[in-house]
Amino acid sequence: MINRYNPNETLWERWSLNAALFPDKEAIVHWDAEAEPFRWTFSHLLSSAEKYALALKHMGIRKGDVCAIIMRHNAQFYPLYLSIASIGAIPAVLAYPNGRLHPEKFRQGLEGMAKHSGLDWIMTERDIEPIISSLTVGQNSAIRGILFPLEFHAETPVNNDEYREILNTRANMKPDDPFLLQHSSGTTGLQKPVLLTHREILLHISNYSDAIRLTDSDKIASWLPLYHDMGLIAAFQMPLASGITTIQIDPFQWVMVPEILLDAISKEKATLAWLPNFAFNLMADKIRTEDLEEISLESVRMLINCSEPVRYDSFVKFLESFQHLGITKEKFGASYGMAEITFSATQTEPGMQPRHFSADRQMLSKGVVQIAGTDSQQVVRECVSSGKPIKGTIIKILGENGQELPEGMVGEIAIKSETVFQGYRNYPEKTAEVLKDGWYYSGDYGFILDGFIYAIGRKKDIIIVAGNNIYPEDVEDAVLQADGVIPGRVIAFGEEDPSIGSEQISVIAESNLTDPESLKKLRLEIVRTGMQIDVTIKNVYIVPPRWLIKSSAGKPARKANMERILKSKEEVLWG
Amino acid sequence: MISDRLKKTILNVLKLDDYEIQSETRADEVPGWDSLNHINVILAVEKEYQVRFKNIEVLKLKNIGDLQKLVDSKAK
Repeated sequence: MINRYNPNETLWERWSLNAALFPDKEAIVHWDAEAEPFRWTFSHLLSSAEKYALALKHMGIRKGDVCAIIMRHNAQFYPLYLSIASIGAIPAVLAYPNGRLHPEKFRQGLEGMAKHSGLDWIMTERDIEPIISSLTVGQNSAIRGILFPLEFHAETPVNNDEYREILNTRANMKPDDPFLLQHSSGTTGLQKPVLLTHREILLHISNYSDAIRLTDSDKIASWLPLYHDMGLIAAFQMPLASGITTIQIDPFQWVMVPEILLDAISKEKATLAWLPNFAFNLMADKIRTEDLEEISLESVRMLINCSEPVRYDSFVKFLESFQHLGITKEKFGASYGMAEITFSATQTEPGMQPRHFSADRQMLSKGVVQIAGTDSQQVVRECVSSGKPIKGTIIKILGENGQELPEGMVGEIAIKSETVFQGYRNYPEKTAEVLKDGWYYSGDYGFILDGFIYAIGRKKDIIIVAGNNIYPEDVEDAVLQADGVIPGRVIAFGEEDPSIGSEQISVIAESNLTDPESLKKLRLEIVRTGMQIDVTIKNVYIVPPRWLIKSSAGKPARKANMERILKSKEEVLWG
Repeated sequence: MISDRLKKTILNVLKLDDYEIQSETRADEVPGWDSLNHINVILAVEKEYQVRFKNIEVLKLKNIGDLQKLVDSKAK
């Protein structure tokens, strides 16, 4: 295994080295519950990427072009991704639209991203051609073309001039050249593009693999989508660069049949997996004991909880359900991170369960960490640590005025990382909000205790549902389209749902409607507007005109209204 | 044709009073039936009909008509 950082290396050089050193080792096991897995060795993956590279070059893709890949789970995705990077272009994985997302919303999202992220090419499947065919492409658009790589001929004739150009591009590739684009969060319109260089990716992988003590006997199993930093960096880039195997599971198959992950771990003897908190709940609650007869999880070294607040109950549930298969509490881990610093800021110690303690909830809400006593009447919150900063990372906690707070005080988490991004592509104003003097202001609330980092909430209004970040503005804009909602009088927020170990989206909307039948229809209509942007609105609160509290700027204030509705849930509201 | 029993089971999971469901209706067209809720619907249908679906059978379902056919074949 290679994970020693070499400041002069590029990802293409690293992959080529891995293919030379471990030609027959499995790089990617492409898992499909309906078929035998497809197994890419390091050498086969690279030779296949070479064929795609020739085809892409022939189609006019140039160094620096951003290539959006919008594909379902497909074994050809991986060589395609590598081939884009191998000719100096920049791959960006985007989510494939599901049937819920309104085609127009999807198109608008792509157009917005083309403008801001600078998408030059869209590489996708023929099935969504009807949706995207009306996109403006060519001279009057940022998008230069739409390609269908699954239809490329297996053997593109080698054009010697083009091949020489490819070799020349590779020879001149520099560690500080842009390597990939990942998007930080958002649903359709507000995704923020993070551009990362070869150096940042390789250095981050080196620092992070030290933190989890990655070895060449490790194998990663993942159902995580590759448009998300956790899936892309931890479960795809890290194993590829380190010369270890990753097992890639279809996210859609996993969420329908979650035991697929356990089956893959068991059959492939995987050692590592990263999971958002809700996944621990989902697997513990929904997988039946009788479906586990041939499963063993003895091979697992760490299951790392990441991407949404870590809940202690979720670990307990998971342990109760799968202890008999080889899971112990020491196999749980946690990490805190975000796309803006490449992936991870902290990591718990391998072989030790994440630190946790009961804090006095009332004191915590005042910003002071106080370990709860034995008083049974005391309202407590179980806080779980995400570990300590990884190599190359410093974390501090800031108060309201930007002053650094001591241990045991709650404030905004600010991160200084060797692999922090340079800024959101084409979004200088958004970059200026979060990146100051080399510090990334996370917008998350947390504290440090005995050197361990705890992330406990958010300063920003962002909603995290099952590991996906959703902007309330996107939901509010959609809901305002519902007939019967007073213009401008909607707020969306995340409401904790302990049963799934995540948040659910709630909406408060003002309406003049009063009769029960109309209110019922309006509620359904509001849920439908969410479906059009592919979000599920779980709770709809319809309130009378002028119910929503306004902020000083004259807009409904999300936090104040959320607190008001949750306090008055028992009161009779309209509908 | 979707039976009232299947329709009622589905709507109950999704907390919908009523919603038009046809054989061709896809899960993603029904309010609340998202990927996270899919497994809840399947488990509720299995419980209601006292049947067990194989993973592969669940993954092959394209619409609610397919679910009805699967239930019918198991409940025979």
